[in-house]
Amino acid sequence: MSAHAVAVGLGAVAGQRAFPFLTALVLTPVGAALVALVLPRRAVWAIRAVGVAGALAVLGIAAAVLDEFRAGFGGYQMVSVHPWVGSLGISWSLGIDGISLFLVLLSALLFLLALAGAGERTNVKSFTIWILLLEAACLGSFCSLDVLLFFLFFETTLVPVYFIIVGWGHEKRNHAAMKFFIYTFTGSAMMLVGIVALVSIHAGQTGVTTFDIRQLVQTHLSGTAGVLLLLAFTAAFAVKAPIFPFHTWSPDAYREAPVAGSVLMAGVTAKLGTYGIVRFDLGLFPHATVVLAPVFLTLGVAGIVYGAIVAAVQKDLKRLVAYSSLAHIGFIVIGAFALTGESVSGAVLQMVNHGLITAALFLLVAMIYRRRQTMNVAHLGGLQRRAPVMAATFAVVVLASIGVPGLNGFVGEFLILAGTFLTHRWWAVVAVAGVVLAAVYLLWAYQQIFHGPERESERDKPFRDLTWREGAVLAPLIVLIVAMGVYPRPVLDRITPSVDQLITHVEQVAHPNIPRVGQPEPTTHTEVAK
Amino acid sequence: MTPFAALAPAGLAIPHIDYTALLPELILLGGVLVLIGVSAMTPRRLPTGVYATMTVAIAAAALVASLRLWRDVQNHGAFTTVAHSVDVDGFAVYFLVLVSCILIVAAIIGSGYLRREGIAGCEYYALALISGSGAMLMASANDLIFIFLALEVLSIPLYVMAGFDRRRPTSQEAAIKYFVLGAFSSAVFVYGIALVYGATGSTNLPEIGAFLAHNVITANGVLLAGIALLIVGFSFKVAAVPFHMWTPDVYQGAPTPVTGFMAALAKAGGFAAFLRVFVATFPTLRGDWQPVIWALAALTLVGGAIVALAQRDVKRMLAYSSINHAGFVLIGLQAVTTKGVAASAYYLFAYAFMVLGSFAVVGVVGAKGDRRHDLEAYRGLAARNPVLATVFSVLLLAQAGVPFTTGFFAKFYVIAASVGAHSYALAVVAMASAAIAVFFYLRVVLLMYSTQPADPGDEATTPGPAGGGVATLVRIPVGRLVVQPSIALGLAVSVGVTVVFGVWPQPLIDFTRAATFIFH
Amino acid sequence: MTIDGSWYLALAAVLFTIGAVGVLVRRNVLVMFMCIELMLNAANLTFVTFSRELNDIGGQVAVFFVLVVAAAEVVVGLGIIVAIYRHRVGATADDPHELRG
Repeated sequence: MSAHAVAVGLGAVAGQRAFPFLTALVLTPVGAALVALVLPRRAVWAIRAVGVAGALAVLGIAAAVLDEFRAGFGGYQMVSVHPWVGSLGISWSLGIDGISLFLVLLSALLFLLALAGAGERTNVKSFTIWILLLEAACLGSFCSLDVLLFFLFFETTLVPVYFIIVGWGHEKRNHAAMKFFIYTFTGSAMMLVGIVALVSIHAGQTGVTTFDIRQLVQTHLSGTAGVLLLLAFTAAFAVKAPIFPFHTWSPDAYREAPVAGSVLMAGVTAKLGTYGIVRFDLGLFPHATVVLAPVFLTLGVAGIVYGAIVAAVQKDLKRLVAYSSLAHIGFIVIGAFALTGESVSGAVLQMVNHGLITAALFLLVAMIYRRRQTMNVAHLGGLQRRAPVMAATFAVVVLASIGVPGLNGFVGEFLILAGTFLTHRWWAVVAVAGVVLAAVYLLWAYQQIFHGPERESERDKPFRDLTWREGAVLAPLIVLIVAMGVYPRPVLDRITPSVDQLITHVEQVAHPNIPRVGQPEPTTHTEVAK
Repeated sequence: MTPFAALAPAGLAIPHIDYTALLPELILLGGVLVLIGVSAMTPRRLPTGVYATMTVAIAAAALVASLRLWRDVQNHGAFTTVAHSVDVDGFAVYFLVLVSCILIVAAIIGSGYLRREGIAGCEYYALALISGSGAMLMASANDLIFIFLALEVLSIPLYVMAGFDRRRPTSQEAAIKYFVLGAFSSAVFVYGIALVYGATGSTNLPEIGAFLAHNVITANGVLLAGIALLIVGFSFKVAAVPFHMWTPDVYQGAPTPVTGFMAALAKAGGFAAFLRVFVATFPTLRGDWQPVIWALAALTLVGGAIVALAQRDVKRMLAYSSINHAGFVLIGLQAVTTKGVAASAYYLFAYAFMVLGSFAVVGVVGAKGDRRHDLEAYRGLAARNPVLATVFSVLLLAQAGVPFTTGFFAKFYVIAASVGAHSYALAVVAMASAAIAVFFYLRVVLLMYSTQPADPGDEATTPGPAGGGVATLVRIPVGRLVVQPSIALGLAVSVGVTVVFGVWPQPLIDFTRAATFIFH
Repeated sequence: MTIDGSWYLALAAVLFTIGAVGVLVRRNVLVMFMCIELMLNAANLTFVTFSRELNDIGGQVAVFFVLVVAAAEVVVGLGIIVAIYRHRVGATADDPHELRG
């Protein structure tokens, strides 16, 4: 056996070809960043080319991972484990399953689009390096099977995002960047304590100090310990996602970041939070998740309604998208905490959908801003006649965001609502109201921008339709939005087995002690379980 | 049989002294004599680089001697010498290595500062070496009186170094404040020793430990009073709240490279003895002192972080940040476990390089005269010297505990030790304080990368009569900052250690574990 | 009434307290300095008393070390004070006040 040990998750035969796909996935952007680092600052084209080539290579590897991925199998695949800090039980263990697969693909795609479509003219070198490092950190988070490794990558994402906002953001960038960093750092600080406490409890039970999630899921937690640990973990995820009411940093950060920053923050790093909820909250603390599910469902629904209402009164397009994003995250949260197979699958799918839709929205907003130097809805109008292609694209994305059947947003929201309705009827009903509200504010904004009356002062200014380059950046997103809406089967086939396995695990752990809602358990059952 | 035994009066046994065990300390002290001798015998003043090179060589020799000792201790186990006053164990040798490294980096960084300020002579280096030998002795001391002596050998040169810059009144003010409070804390400490001696009949740590393990003292008021005074004395030295009042003034007033050296060395030496005395000697009384350390740690963590927020002077800010760091090291002590001691030792190692590097950058930005330490001096630093700004960002983020730096693993290790000892609340307090601390580290980073002139609403800028713009132009220094080669070398070492052992922490963590494996 | 060891200990405690209060209350550096010496000597008295009570030579040896350290501190402390005297009139700890925050 070579140094590259291949551990096979839960009896799979996935790692036969010993090429370390996931390690390559994480390290390729770092390598590209190092190449960019040694290039002279003036060689802007070379630096851009290195950045795009790196992101393209990552997308290629991600495609190979998709090809290698065995559908219909729920466990971790392509697992590779290397000891890293052996004496503390920390290892470089990467693996992928249906929950993380499409998030990896989404990240690979969005980072490529961000690098290819970025119009940053100043300090291209630092910009490219920060984006590539952020890509490595995001991919590392999605692939980590070691909780501390996840935390390291998760925490590392802060630094590039911070510098991207500070370096290339809009007017109030310093304030927004500071707020972003402190909020998220505080959240993850609590998570670190939680991780250490969980590992310490696990070590106390088994005598093995390990951060490997596959072993930590077997930890027996008392009710209180589980709830406290869940809260500690969720502190990080709730801020990152962000879940209402921990979202106050996000409209500022999304608003002030440069377009690449907004796209990546809303499209990818926000997913780290929701991914963390599904992977760690549900996986590690099933019992506590069941106990606290009503709380988080309520927060999710509150986020949907609050996000929709606040979005409706926004004058600023970017803030509008930011608040609509909050509403979408609310859907993902209720999907995750409804704890049915459909709803959690829907939540995972919706993470990908939301990434595609929000990225497209932010890109379109940036394209409008580039032409008019404004993001104020009231200053725009009548653009449909000037830029019909852009208007059509915008319309598709808006409809997908609303959740119109035939586009990807529908599939995710439908699964979430259908799954939630089974166990938590009233929350689902309120969430449906959120869909209606979303339709109102998004269509209103679309109508205002593209069909409303054009302002007198703007009438003589030119407004170009989408350029080829812009079209090339948007095309993959639009194709995926339509394709995943029309034919989501291949995606769901890969997501569902992992989700089902997760839900089974949750039920097995949580079932014996907690009576299910509406159907009290027979007492004998409980005693046997103890 | 020592050669002087014949001179001793009959009946007075001269203890056997294993000079090889004391070799690192002896090399440093011998080096001081060489430095002073060379300085006295050369007719014209030698350039400071000569002394710096000699100091680096001396410290490197001490490092080699320490590493040899490490090998001996690993192969043959720990031993004591000088009538059991000096304990040569892994823990002691770990700190010998650390102190040697601190001396090397401090000499390199100091030489750049001394050349810029045009200060000739060997005094800086000689004092640093004496102080370093004191820190080494503190780590190996196995007797309370010996700790007291080592503490003074560590501290007295630092008082002088704080007042080194005679042209700046703040430097002398720092020296006098440091001296008065340092001497005060020493007096408290020695009175504590006297009380512990009275209660246990010995000043030797293992003897005290054995006495406490085998006897139950019914009326232990004297002992507890003694222990309390020892805690107060140590808390002064390591700058734990509420005994930290001297720290911001001294850190601000002392010449900048001295501040970095002082922060790294005094913390290492002070905590080495603090850990040994309490974890190894008084574990039987932990019920009495552990809660006190808990409170000290919590106050230090939160106090340091919160007060730092209000600082406009970067040196003062870093002083409060060092108080915050002291709180983290106290967490390892509070755990009273081997893992806790290892975590504290790791933290001190990581901290030493971060703080030496940080103050080196502050010294560069301070410019000739060492006066430009207002936050505003950092505005737009990235444009003036992008590499320096990157280096400072790395060091500050490492202090904040960002992953893939030693700062992260230091915090992680300490938190793990704390949770392992079931001090969950303290772990949460610590991480909350880390989150607060992020704010003031980032504020400097933000300023460095800021291209905007000062905000008109910012209270720090005083708008001139002709409007804010003119005043701002005057305040913001322009032009490229020159970093001297020696300081660049020192920074490279600091950042290198911080990042390399952040990405590849295994060797350093194994080192701390081996050092504390048989902590007795 | 016999004067036993506890009297000496009490005297030392009183001396120590006077010294400590003096350092904290007085503002003249030289007086503060003397108060520190008082504290050190209180510790010495305690050492000697315990040494006698325990019939152990160690405490008396400790006194010598403390005396040496006190002398070293005097040398350095007076040096610093003299350096300050050169620059300004009077040696009050309140006079240096450039360091505030």
